[in-house]
Amino acid sequence: MKRILLQDTSGTLKKEMRDFYVAINSHLRDNGLAEKAQAVLVADIGIYNKGIVAKVLPEGFVYAGLKNSDIPLIVEKTVVGGEKVVALALDKKNRQMRVVLRNCGIIDPESIEDYIAQDGYEGLTAALAMGPEKVIEEMKKSGLRGRGGAGFPTWMKWNITRGVKGDVKYIICNGDEGDPGAYMDRSVLEGDPHSVIEGMMIGGLATGASQGIFYIRAEYPLAVERIQKAIDVCRQKGIVGKNIFGFGFDFDIEIRLGAGAFVCGEETALIASIEGLRGYPRPRPPFPSVKGLWGKPTVINNVETLANVPYIFLKGGEAFGRIGIEGSTGTKVFALTGKVKNSGLVEVPMGITLREIVFEVGGGVFNNKAIKAIQTGGPSGGVIPEDHFDTPVGYETLQKLGSIMGSGGMIVLDENDCVVDISKFYLGFCVDESCGKCAPCRIGGTQMLSILKKISEGKGEAEDLVKLNQIAQAMQKASLCGLGQTAANPVLSTMKYFEAEYKAHIMDKRCPSGKCASLVSYSINKERCTACGLCARNCPVTAISGDRQSKYTIDMEKCIGCGNCYDVCKFGAVIRQ
Amino acid sequence: MAITRDELNTLKAAVWAKSPKNWIRVGYSTCGVAAGAREVFEVLVEEIKARNMDIVVKKCGCVGLCSAEPLVEVNIEGVPRVFYGKVNKDVAHRIMDEHVCQKKLVENHIYEL
Repeated sequence: MKRILLQDTSGTLKKEMRDFYVAINSHLRDNGLAEKAQAVLVADIGIYNKGIVAKVLPEGFVYAGLKNSDIPLIVEKTVVGGEKVVALALDKKNRQMRVVLRNCGIIDPESIEDYIAQDGYEGLTAALAMGPEKVIEEMKKSGLRGRGGAGFPTWMKWNITRGVKGDVKYIICNGDEGDPGAYMDRSVLEGDPHSVIEGMMIGGLATGASQGIFYIRAEYPLAVERIQKAIDVCRQKGIVGKNIFGFGFDFDIEIRLGAGAFVCGEETALIASIEGLRGYPRPRPPFPSVKGLWGKPTVINNVETLANVPYIFLKGGEAFGRIGIEGSTGTKVFALTGKVKNSGLVEVPMGITLREIVFEVGGGVFNNKAIKAIQTGGPSGGVIPEDHFDTPVGYETLQKLGSIMGSGGMIVLDENDCVVDISKFYLGFCVDESCGKCAPCRIGGTQMLSILKKISEGKGEAEDLVKLNQIAQAMQKASLCGLGQTAANPVLSTMKYFEAEYKAHIMDKRCPSGKCASLVSYSINKERCTACGLCARNCPVTAISGDRQSKYTIDMEKCIGCGNCYDVCKFGAVIRQ
Repeated sequence: MAITRDELNTLKAAVWAKSPKNWIRVGYSTCGVAAGAREVFEVLVEEIKARNMDIVVKKCGCVGLCSAEPLVEVNIEGVPRVFYGKVNKDVAHRIMDEHVCQKKLVENHIYEL
């Protein structure tokens, strides 16, 4: 039996889709094929803006831009004949590539048997057979760089720790994921815990560490539970313990919980936190690879970095290095959120463009609004405007645009998002999370935030932009750790790309996207108003009054500028100024 | 006692040898559970028990399409393997009635990744 999956991929052909569905069903019935094929309307066919799309299973042929007149041909050729109708066919490229998420959603994360069935722990045995030096050599070939933010080459990190003499060494997995909107580490820890453990053990072998520590934020209880179960079963099976796989390598793992401070994702603060001290960063050098946890050589890798490692030893470093682009090899998991149709995790090869991620993988902007920009890299990253969407994604390319890859948060902003508001949000986050140890971050952040607040309230002055720039530079140069050094990035990148919007706030006292409540006022056009009363019912502060005869008016004394009335009015009667 | 490389391979072969023909995977990470995966899982398990069918229901991680959670992947012989998204109790019952028993795909809930 054939299955014909159908969807209106433009989102505007509701009636045509219905007609098509009815027509194909009656055509099948009339030709006695009702038992041979089933036409099914689906929720998402994975293709966007191509009109009516059909996918025929089991062959997997995809036809796009369909009209009712195409039905007989599709039925005759494909349903009856099993052949492809070349004239209608769409070559659907699969943009995603699964390396880190290879097992997520496929295996039962609590079953080690499931993991072993997917070649689990074979990477480790291969690495054990190679020995530490060759492991580092293989990592160098792969070109894997840290996925936590800074993008330091993993082989180099391991090699430095390996070169430091020490009776005890530690390897820490940094699972203190804190960027707003990013949750790929949680998903990997919950969906495929053994791959992170295996990666950590290979790292332990390479660096000479015999103790692994998972530092996971306490807000991820399910991740902690699954990692703990995975460690327990590994101990039981002898995969973790003494003389692993008979190669004379000893390794043990324990979990430490992070208590919810963003700064503890910074490596020196993380180490202090594990030692039971206050989560303060300290100046480097000495780097943790020389003097880390309990004063011993320590290597710290991100969850996603470690999840890549077993794959490298299964497929070989060179094979991994062929994925992606020069300098940025492999894949990257992004947490695609904000005003995008399909929010969720996507894993794409490096070198894909931002446009492909948003429009082909993410399905475009929610409600078909105009896209404005993408925020990447969380509070340390920046905002990339639409003109730069054809840039291939990589560590250096994003940095050149004034943003960073970061841990992989990607927030889509549409025309209704205000850049001053976004900067205020991210800076506010960093001010909240600043540990307060160094002055540039503690004082600089607060001052920048108060200037931004002033601008969004319509009290901005011309020299504010200069002041913002000055403070931002001081913070970048003089802050103790990454949090303060990068906290100003969202502000700097928005000022670079959207200077006009800042100036509109300051000079014209106007918020072009209508987000800053103090700068907009709402009124109702009586001629357009149909007196339906929808605005009044949706007003949270009952500022709208009226009735069917006199129509509705907004009391500006009460109005808080939330914009609900503007969003709900179907007749364009609410005016925003 | 540490496991050996040979034992690892034996274990792998054993898992593959007894891998089920018919299975249903439920996305059971934080995103799935928050969207209601727990009750979907319970409905599926109960229905299979009540109908005395040989189908393995498995709790899995998240495949990534978090906006469509709870996601359920269904593999029943004779029907193409598909993902159903935004599954609630009712849809879970429909999956059992239509997809599993009548071998018909359930409308409006299929997500192609």
